[in-house]
Amino acid sequence: MSEVIYSAESKKSAAADGTEILFFTIGDKTYGIEIEFVKEIISIEQITVIPKIPEYIKGVINIRGKVVPVISVRKRFGMEEIPYDDRTCIIVLEFDNGDQVGIIVDRVQEVIVVGRETISKTPDCRNVNANRYIKNIVDLNGEIKLLLDCNKLIMN
Amino acid sequence: MENLRALLVVNKIAEDCERLEYIPADIENNSETAKDIVENGFIVKFKPSSDMDINAILNLIGETSNVKSYEVVEMGAVIELTGTVNVKVTFEEESKMENLRALIVVNNIKDKCTKLTYEPADIEGNSAAAQTIIDSGFIIHFESDDPKTVIRTINASPNVKCCEVLSAGEAPAPAPQAQPTVGNNPVPAAAAPSAPAAQAAEKKSVEQINTMLGNKGTGQKQSLISVNLHKLDTLLDLVGEIVITEAMVTSSPDLKGLRLDNFQKSARQLRKLNSELQDTVMSIRMVPISGAFNKMTRIVRDMKVKLNKDVDLVFEGEETEVDKSIIDQLNDPLMHMVRNSMDHGIEDNVQDRIARGKPAKGKITLSAYNSSNEVIIVIADDGTGINAQKVLEKAEKNGLLTKPMSEYTDKEVFNMIMLPGFSTNEQVTEYSGRGVGMDVVRKNIEKIGGSVSVDSKWGEGSNFIIKIPLSLSIVDGMEVSVGQSIFTIPINSIRESFKIKPSQLVKDTDGKEMIMIRGECFPLIRLYELYDLTPGTDDLYEGIVILVESDGKCACIFADELIGEQQVVVKPFSSLLNNFNVKQNGMAGCSILGDGSITIILDISNIISDF
Repeated sequence: MSEVIYSAESKKSAAADGTEILFFTIGDKTYGIEIEFVKEIISIEQITVIPKIPEYIKGVINIRGKVVPVISVRKRFGMEEIPYDDRTCIIVLEFDNGDQVGIIVDRVQEVIVVGRETISKTPDCRNVNANRYIKNIVDLNGEIKLLLDCNKLIMN
Repeated sequence: MENLRALLVVNKIAEDCERLEYIPADIENNSETAKDIVENGFIVKFKPSSDMDINAILNLIGETSNVKSYEVVEMGAVIELTGTVNVKVTFEEESKMENLRALIVVNNIKDKCTKLTYEPADIEGNSAAAQTIIDSGFIIHFESDDPKTVIRTINASPNVKCCEVLSAGEAPAPAPQAQPTVGNNPVPAAAAPSAPAAQAAEKKSVEQINTMLGNKGTGQKQSLISVNLHKLDTLLDLVGEIVITEAMVTSSPDLKGLRLDNFQKSARQLRKLNSELQDTVMSIRMVPISGAFNKMTRIVRDMKVKLNKDVDLVFEGEETEVDKSIIDQLNDPLMHMVRNSMDHGIEDNVQDRIARGKPAKGKITLSAYNSSNEVIIVIADDGTGINAQKVLEKAEKNGLLTKPMSEYTDKEVFNMIMLPGFSTNEQVTEYSGRGVGMDVVRKNIEKIGGSVSVDSKWGEGSNFIIKIPLSLSIVDGMEVSVGQSIFTIPINSIRESFKIKPSQLVKDTDGKEMIMIRGECFPLIRLYELYDLTPGTDDLYEGIVILVESDGKCACIFADELIGEQQVVVKPFSSLLNNFNVKQNGMAGCSILGDGSITIILDISNIISDF
């Protein structure tokens, strides 16, 4: 079984004046997801291929007796896949209905409390962000990071 | 607990009496009667059997424990129960809706009577009859081969206070009748188990009653316990984990090459216990399907009135047991289909039925039975059936056809009615015609791993056949490998596995491969082709061929090699994967093997039906 690098026990303790966001990188870009969705982060492990499903779903993994599907974020964003290394992680997301889904990311960075005033909406325009994977944009002291919409990321 | 003590009296003399009635009647189940007995005494009417004397019976009563005294109230002629028997039934005060209670009584006895009339007659539709019954009782006239049983049945019906024989049609044969009142000695309940030794010789039922008395009447309730379904689910999950862990321990790679006689022995024992544990947990979750069936009675009754159709609802095999979680999912589909049968199936016009040589009264049959690892539920009606031509035309209009009309078989056509948005009913009614029903039915049934098919004959009726797995959780499977992947084929769909010889391979003009086995030809499915995998071998003579069967259709599956047989716990695919039709592609779920790797459980029926 893979080693648990980070386990979100303190989900509820989000700072009152902001949202806790987990940042990770894909290639040279940094994305974030809200910590409420994150169940745990594990290192990459053996993925069982499920035939006849879209390519971005890599297959299923066994997390302590639970069969969890994993999605490659690179593939989902239409990027080239790179070989997995020891920094490649699976972020296990848990949704309200109890479903768990793992997403494969290049590197996990850090959890930062982001003030509400620094979060801004995406432009409401058809050509930009057509898939609407991006929920919000975060301005972190001049560094712009993209906040992903977990539901959109998972749904087809 | 005078009522139970009275029951002792009854049991004691029952064997020696030809006829036996008593007031109050429901002493066995109704503890309220105890009070009644304390106040009014317990009245027994009996006629001794021919070889017994009245006094002997009275002595028997006197001997029964806790009986204080008895007196003979009345001795007289007993009305012989022959010919037409007239009975007056009175119901408990404030039982409400006496007319329907009377209907229950009538329903209870109607099978046992050769002739049956009752006053007031219109108990079913007329609620005013209730008042008449309260005022003057409910009078039943019946003829029966076994009038005693009938009277007993009446007495046993719910809310019946007493049932009085008024007169018999034919000459009453005089016979002595005694009516002793048995006074009960108010002994504290706890004293009962220490009752005289004579009781030990009594019938078993008496012992049971005594036990009940000893337990202060709680004995009956202790045998049942209602448990939160969630807890049972957890228990089942745990058992599943134990099964996996057991395999992990016994087939641990650390043990390879070691000779461990004692270990193997204990491991076998553990496996046996585990499978017993599994069976027990499964059986706990099994409930008879009658609950789901009974709910249909009401729907049929309501629709009968609304649609003005006369229909009988018949159940068959309602004692068949199905997993509780499956039953819960079954209610809606069943309701839809019964409604469909009522609305579309049974003819609107009785004359149409008669013209087709069918009885005027329609019939809907709900039947359930077990077949290997499945439960099959059939909803059959003897109505119009499905007009295949009409369905086909409608399908064409909706653009649902994928091949020329003439190429469709009847079965394919009938199954089209389960496509979303399909309805041949021109008018939307309260009950049907919206075209969502059958689609939802199919989805619901598929959600629990089942399948629905339709069979129909124009003019003769339709059958809707639901097949559901007996249980969702644990299957015996054979693991096969294809390249890196491991698939599990449920053992119950495997006929045999073998290596083939070149002489067995047949190819048709399109190059499709078939395999000859003992004079029969079966299509060959290469798993790696089906699932676009990289195989370990594509040489047919090197790999293994497994002959599988489902719904009477067979096919050969080609895989790299057999790994072994194992019980696996089915883990359904998450909803994310279900969005991509994994089920239609022949994958039923996945499972975790002893070494932590994941195997995909194949759904043979879906694989075969696509071929």
